[in-house]
Amino acid sequence: MNDERGYLARKLKEGHASLFERTWPSWVGGMLVAFLSILMFAWERPWGVVAGMRNWGDWLFTSLGIYHKSVQSPLVNYASVMDLGLVFGAFASALLGREFSIRTPPRLEAAKGFVAGILMGIGAALARGCNVGGFYSAISALSLGGVAMMFGLILGAYVGLRYLLWELEKFPPRTTAPAGGERSEGGFDWRRIQPWIGYAIMILAVLVSFRYSSVAYTKSGGLLLLGLAVGIVMHRSRLCFVAAFRDPFMTGESRQTKAVALSLMIAMTGYAIIKWAGLRGEMVYVANTFLFGGLVGGFIFGIGMVIAGGCGSGTLWRVGEGQVKLWITLVSFSLTNALVRYYMDTTGLIHKVGKAVFIPDLLSYKWTVIALLVLLGLWYLAADWNEEKEIVVVE
Amino acid sequence: MDLKDIKPDVTLDARGLSCPMPLLKTKKAMKGMKPGQIIEVLGTDPGSKKDLPDFAQKSGNEWLGVLDDGEGFYRFYLRKK
Repeated sequence: MNDERGYLARKLKEGHASLFERTWPSWVGGMLVAFLSILMFAWERPWGVVAGMRNWGDWLFTSLGIYHKSVQSPLVNYASVMDLGLVFGAFASALLGREFSIRTPPRLEAAKGFVAGILMGIGAALARGCNVGGFYSAISALSLGGVAMMFGLILGAYVGLRYLLWELEKFPPRTTAPAGGERSEGGFDWRRIQPWIGYAIMILAVLVSFRYSSVAYTKSGGLLLLGLAVGIVMHRSRLCFVAAFRDPFMTGESRQTKAVALSLMIAMTGYAIIKWAGLRGEMVYVANTFLFGGLVGGFIFGIGMVIAGGCGSGTLWRVGEGQVKLWITLVSFSLTNALVRYYMDTTGLIHKVGKAVFIPDLLSYKWTVIALLVLLGLWYLAADWNEEKEIVVVE
Repeated sequence: MDLKDIKPDVTLDARGLSCPMPLLKTKKAMKGMKPGQIIEVLGTDPGSKKDLPDFAQKSGNEWLGVLDDGEGFYRFYLRKK
């Protein structure tokens, strides 16, 4: 009897360690995110990030009386609960891996986080979405604006990286002689209990989604759980859109680029099936961002995300991990986006950032899917080739 | 060799920095080192646990390992080729 209990405990421990104490390969993360994103669309709506942040900003500004907009409570707004799920999923994941801690940035980093959030807020307003809604889900939804944003992000990531390298020249890293002997071993290592808190949060999330369901917000509850799963996957695999766009220029590393390209191939095919079968409206997530909004918005957003060290989704999962710099980014990003979007709505500018182009209207579904697979495949191959030949690596 | 017995030649404090700054700073700091010297990088970004060994492998430097003793930060060790 004792032996059997010992066996079960050991197996559970091993299972926990292999799931939560190692980093999952990026491509595994990319594939899982694609499936979750398809499930979100099948359940209710495409995956998006910045709309939830904007909901928080609108809610705050409306509560303060700065402007008035009919705004849903962040507790039931679909976009908002997906974001809350993502943050708490990453928080739970960090705890499960004993990796959560409050990470306070030096002053320059904090300032960069703040300014980068402003750039991202403006960029995401012009592109009608961040790297997720404006690029990932937009391409999945077969919108040409998403392709425009992809090119904007590539250019923006390049410029953002040039800034980081300039900063590195201006403030070169200072090394010191090692102090030695200062290695402290703290008293109670509270990381030992972190996994228990992590499991508690996951159970709590399931209970909360039941609660949503019992008060007729079943859709919100489902999106909360799917968001939670995205948060866990992205944190565990450290799937990073910033690195996908930045690394080919920085180190030549192509792993994240390939993971995102692969992820998009799966998500796009899934979204195409859902739309093609007539399960969801064809123009869902096809925003009027071709060409100006996507390209320029992507460019501005791309600069911001490289300086912040986190995109829309990446900011959220790093917030859950305890990175204070990204907390600052989240605040300036949400508030700027709410303000800029409010301005664009009230002045009508929102209708002038480009055309809404649903690619199958031009090419038919079949050729759209093939064309996008080719485009993403070329991105994948170009990143791989560049890793070997270092063609666009800056230094 | 036990990581705790390593005597680094230089220490780089990258605590509080987020991705990709710890990597870029390590890369730059190692340019000024002599072959065989060991650098100790103090950091708080868990991403470095993946980025720094990858960088070492790609650049031909030797990855010695990471210490995570509940000090509130990680200690990464690399040896210049």
